[in-house]
Amino acid sequence: MRRQLRSRRAPAFPYGYRYRLDDQDEVNQNYLADEEEEAEEEARVMVVHDLEEEEEEEEKEEEEEEEEEGQGQPTSNALWQKLQIVNEHLWDPEKRMSLARTGQSWRVMIRPFAHSLNFNFNVSEPDTWQHYVISLNGFLQGYNDSLQEEMNVDCPPGQYFIQDGNEDEDKKACQFKRSFLKNCSGLEDPTFGYSTGQPCILLKMNRIVGFRPELGDPVKVSCKVQRGDENDIRSINYYPESASFDLRYYPYYGKLTHVNYTSPLVAMHFTDVVKNQAVPVQCQLKGKGIINDVINDRFVGRVIFTLNIET
Amino acid sequence: MRLKTPEIYSVELSGTEDVGKTDTGDGKEKYRGLKDKRLELKKNHQKEELKKEVDLEDHKLSIKELERKYGTNIVTGLSSTQAAELLARNGPNALTPPKETPEIVKFPQADGAILCWIAYGIQYFNDKSSSLDSVYLGCVLALVVILTGIFAYYQEAKSTNIMASFSKMIPQQALVIRDSEKKTVPAEQLVVGDIVEIKGGDKIPADIRLLSTQGCKVDNSSLTGNLTPSLRTHDNPLEAENPWNKMSTSPVGTATGMVINTGDRTIIGQIASLASGVGHEKTPIAIEIEHFVHIVAGVAVSIGILFFIIAVSMKYYVLDSIIFLIGIIVANVPEGLLATVTVTLSLTAKRMAKKNCLVKNLEAVETLGSTSIICSDKTGTLTQNRMTVAHLWFDNQIFVADTSEDHSNQVFDQSSGTWASLSKIITLCNRAEFRPGQESVPIMKKVVVGDASETALLKFSEVILGDVMEIRKRNRKVAEIPFNSTNKFQLSIHETDDPSDKRFLMVMKGAPERVLEKCSTIMVNGQEQPLDDSTAEAFHTAYMELGGLGERVLGFCHLYLPADKFPETYSFDVDTVNFPTSNLCFVGLLSMIDPPRSTVPDAVTKCRSAGIKVIMVTGDHPITAKAIAKSVGIISANSETVEDIAKRLNIPVEQVSKRDAKAAVVTGMELKDMSPEQLDELLTDYSEIVFARTSPQQKLIIVEGCQRQDAVVAVTGDGVNDSPALKKADIGIAMGIAGSDAAKNAADMVLLDDNFASIVTGVEEGRLIFDNLKKTIAYTLTKNIAELCPFLIYIIAGLPLPIGTITILFIDLGTDIIPSIALAYEKAESDIMNRKPRHKKKDRLVNAPLAIYSYLHIGLMQALGAFVVYFTVYAQEGFRPSALINLRVEWEKDSVNDLEDSYGQEWTQYQRKYLEWTGYTAFFVGIMIQQIADLIIRKTRRNSIFQQGLFRNKVIWVGIASQIIIALILSYGLGSVSALNFTMLRPQYWFVAVPHAILIWVYDEVRKLFIRLYPGSWWDKNMYY
Repeated sequence: MRRQLRSRRAPAFPYGYRYRLDDQDEVNQNYLADEEEEAEEEARVMVVHDLEEEEEEEEKEEEEEEEEEGQGQPTSNALWQKLQIVNEHLWDPEKRMSLARTGQSWRVMIRPFAHSLNFNFNVSEPDTWQHYVISLNGFLQGYNDSLQEEMNVDCPPGQYFIQDGNEDEDKKACQFKRSFLKNCSGLEDPTFGYSTGQPCILLKMNRIVGFRPELGDPVKVSCKVQRGDENDIRSINYYPESASFDLRYYPYYGKLTHVNYTSPLVAMHFTDVVKNQAVPVQCQLKGKGIINDVINDRFVGRVIFTLNIET
Repeated sequence: MRLKTPEIYSVELSGTEDVGKTDTGDGKEKYRGLKDKRLELKKNHQKEELKKEVDLEDHKLSIKELERKYGTNIVTGLSSTQAAELLARNGPNALTPPKETPEIVKFPQADGAILCWIAYGIQYFNDKSSSLDSVYLGCVLALVVILTGIFAYYQEAKSTNIMASFSKMIPQQALVIRDSEKKTVPAEQLVVGDIVEIKGGDKIPADIRLLSTQGCKVDNSSLTGNLTPSLRTHDNPLEAENPWNKMSTSPVGTATGMVINTGDRTIIGQIASLASGVGHEKTPIAIEIEHFVHIVAGVAVSIGILFFIIAVSMKYYVLDSIIFLIGIIVANVPEGLLATVTVTLSLTAKRMAKKNCLVKNLEAVETLGSTSIICSDKTGTLTQNRMTVAHLWFDNQIFVADTSEDHSNQVFDQSSGTWASLSKIITLCNRAEFRPGQESVPIMKKVVVGDASETALLKFSEVILGDVMEIRKRNRKVAEIPFNSTNKFQLSIHETDDPSDKRFLMVMKGAPERVLEKCSTIMVNGQEQPLDDSTAEAFHTAYMELGGLGERVLGFCHLYLPADKFPETYSFDVDTVNFPTSNLCFVGLLSMIDPPRSTVPDAVTKCRSAGIKVIMVTGDHPITAKAIAKSVGIISANSETVEDIAKRLNIPVEQVSKRDAKAAVVTGMELKDMSPEQLDELLTDYSEIVFARTSPQQKLIIVEGCQRQDAVVAVTGDGVNDSPALKKADIGIAMGIAGSDAAKNAADMVLLDDNFASIVTGVEEGRLIFDNLKKTIAYTLTKNIAELCPFLIYIIAGLPLPIGTITILFIDLGTDIIPSIALAYEKAESDIMNRKPRHKKKDRLVNAPLAIYSYLHIGLMQALGAFVVYFTVYAQEGFRPSALINLRVEWEKDSVNDLEDSYGQEWTQYQRKYLEWTGYTAFFVGIMIQQIADLIIRKTRRNSIFQQGLFRNKVIWVGIASQIIIALILSYGLGSVSALNFTMLRPQYWFVAVPHAILIWVYDEVRKLFIRLYPGSWWDKNMYY
């Protein structure tokens, strides 16, 4: 994001779009060599090059590192780990720049929005769930099919929707229609299943400028009981059925240019949950390089909430 | 004159009774200077108690009665068990040193403790999940309070320890009879009823009642202020002959006595405790710091309450508002300042100790710097405290002897035959002797048994003639009449060292007029001549001249007794005087004085140029006092007293206009008759004043008089009776060598070498420390605004909190400590000894320009610079400044985990918290970087940094390095400890504030430039602190 800011000041330099597209397919093989090349170039034209690109690079790079850390480190001693962390935060030799934030990774958040993540409601008392419905309805207004069709383009699924060009140019956004959510769209069942004790919960990933889901594989969502009997949740339906965030919604270019961007959603439809008891649910993102077990920040790659449906 | 002393003493005592009357409604305000009635009452009580206790009857009791009263036996003494019992019951025979908690310790505790309680209170009322920060805050604040308290206490204790070790350096021993045996025990273990033996030169270890004595005299000078042992037969035990008091010394003879009082119950002890009852004025620096605390507290509390009200009316929760209040107060209170001031003062104290000024009370360091009047003793302080031969008169000529400390350079003509005779008389007619066993000691330092004049003569002759004892051996003494006050001469008869000459030589010295009466001839150029009127005239002229110099003059004469009348076997009888004592041959005069220390005239000149008035207060004769005052420059060469003018113009004293005289010599008698108004007038009218023939008690009156002029008064003293004056003075200076323990206890400072010049170096250090404290405080205050603004803006504009309370404490007690101490090492900007002493009430430590310049100029610039860093960090992370406004509520909501930034990115609560900490760190670093610039600009107040030299004070650079290192450690070392709220900051953020720091430097250089260019202008008045 800091790139983004700097890019506002820097002169535009149309560069790299095609290049990115070209090597997109062989990303996995050529990744490192590619990075180095990129880094050198960056060092030369630090001030005047297209920073979106760099941003992407950076994010990818970081994820790579996180991945490495996740796999290779657990046996080393604490001091080494600490040094690693310091090193990671301070200086990235390949990028020749320093980093400050902890490695970026997807945070997730759910809807309906409530002050707590405990969904307690009584099926037979609409007052207890009405606010969830209102919240969801409100949230989904921006996803109305008509609006999406009018504002956004229908871009091809399965690949990043990378838009080159002047960074001041408005970027197009891909459609994410409310109807994608099927039973959780609120179109067929305006109560999103709450009236039948089969609540819909929408999951979205927090937007990060320029950040892309891991290397061409869409991120999947999977929910299960966090603690206790796994059979407390007997079935979950995901919409879209792939239970994933399609690549075409990434990268995000920031709201200044990517005006009509609508975050992709995955709806979880808890169709058969044990009633009259609190069921802790953990929904995690699954995919290459996705971190979902950070303790400090409980929203990194996962979200934990409780369902307590009374009848 | 000397007999006046006791009267003055009793005047002092009955003076307190007057106070008593005042209190009971007499309405006569006799005793000024004391406002606190309670204190007055307490003092009365003590003084009256003293008077009661003084009415001992012991000196009137017979020995038998005494034995009964104290359950002892004068032959066998007490038994050891008895003694142990009594010791356990009455305590050791030592004065309890007065213990005081230093005022300065109390200053931070109130604030801190209250803050702490509030923090705990908040934690208590908060629900459990969210109170962790408050707990940290509470703990840190408590820690701060405790640590600073301990620190200050440690510092004070350390300096007290120096003092304690100092006084214990020479443990006093006493020879006591116990279990019928003579034992040497430490004087502390003496108990009432002990029989002690005193030898010549011993200090009397306790109040004793004499039982028997052999040729023993006692010097009670430290008690009564009398300079010579005097015979007394009064009912008043202070003046009676047989009880002797602790601390007195017995110069000659031996004696046996019974201990009648020990420790604090001795008369000395009572006077010492009386001294502690005299209201000890707050030190100027304590007043200044109090003033400063008032300013800071005023700002903190008023801003705090104002924003509390604003916060509440902006519909913040009351609890939140209280946390804001704490934040504002923490930001405003310079937590580290106490430690800084203490360290700064103790550094200076150490430096002064090296220069022989031992500072007991740290605050006194500065007091000395603001001193405007020094009331100095003469003996020992201004002078060398030993009689020294100053002039000789023989062959109708006055010769000057060398009076310097080592006597090495005696240049007068020694070829004359008269000198040969005179030197023989000086050598032989002298009972003083060197104490054996000091062969390796230089002559001037050898210990002599004998009185002051004889000592002077002995050393004088030893220096010039060589081994005096050998000469005396060769000229065997056959008879002697010692000096007594009726004869006023001393005489001895010797065999000559010339084997062929069988005559006896009779030598005599004494009061010149008495000696001359006995002479019929006078020796000129080695030849005896009849004493005619013209030679007598010459004698008188010389005598008057030497006397006028304030010197003690002795006449010397001799006579060779004819061998036919006085054969070798002749038996001289001093009682019947079977030898002639008239028609002698007058040889010469010799005058002695206690000469000024060689460093004193310089020191007095320095004092004068530093605007300090030096007043001499002495018990000596006015003429001597005046002579010494003139020779050291207390009375400058061209100023005259009223009497001088009268003499010069040959008119009566009354006709002289007082305006013409700059100097005045006032005796104790005159002082006694003066009203306070007259004394005030005297002190203001004359710039050069000498008080002669004063008692130590009158010192108190003089000190009070000076203090009425709003002067900061330093008093030197050594006697026990000086202790009230030492206490009363703004800074009491006791003599390390000659001083009594009571004086040292009462004093704030001890001069280890008894030298007046040391006071002047002390003054210099004191003034420097005041200047440097100003710089330190200005430095410390500056960042308070930068710490305060975040809270205010947080409350009003609703930004995410830019800097946390704990982070602020890390600035106050972490990065800023060493730099502010480093300012104490700063050299003076100009000659501080060329300016007037600061005015107690006008030249404040923290004045309006200092506060305004620190708070509103540099402080605001600093706040701005720190905000730039803060905004940079947030903007680079995605929150542009405009997006931050009024973001606070959403920002701090735990349930919002997808807060959108300026670029549409979404932030979880934890991410935001982390960013907030990064913001704290960035703000912290911003302040730290600018504090470096602040530190550099505070090196000077008027001069350019380049005039002062950027690298002269190396400690400043240590301070800067420490700032940077501490900040690096906090950010990169402790960045992962969440309780401390630091994060690892990107290296580039460290440089964001650098341009601001440079701006601060330039701004201050411009300020200083205009101050130098336009002295006295509006700019100078408002921008110079």
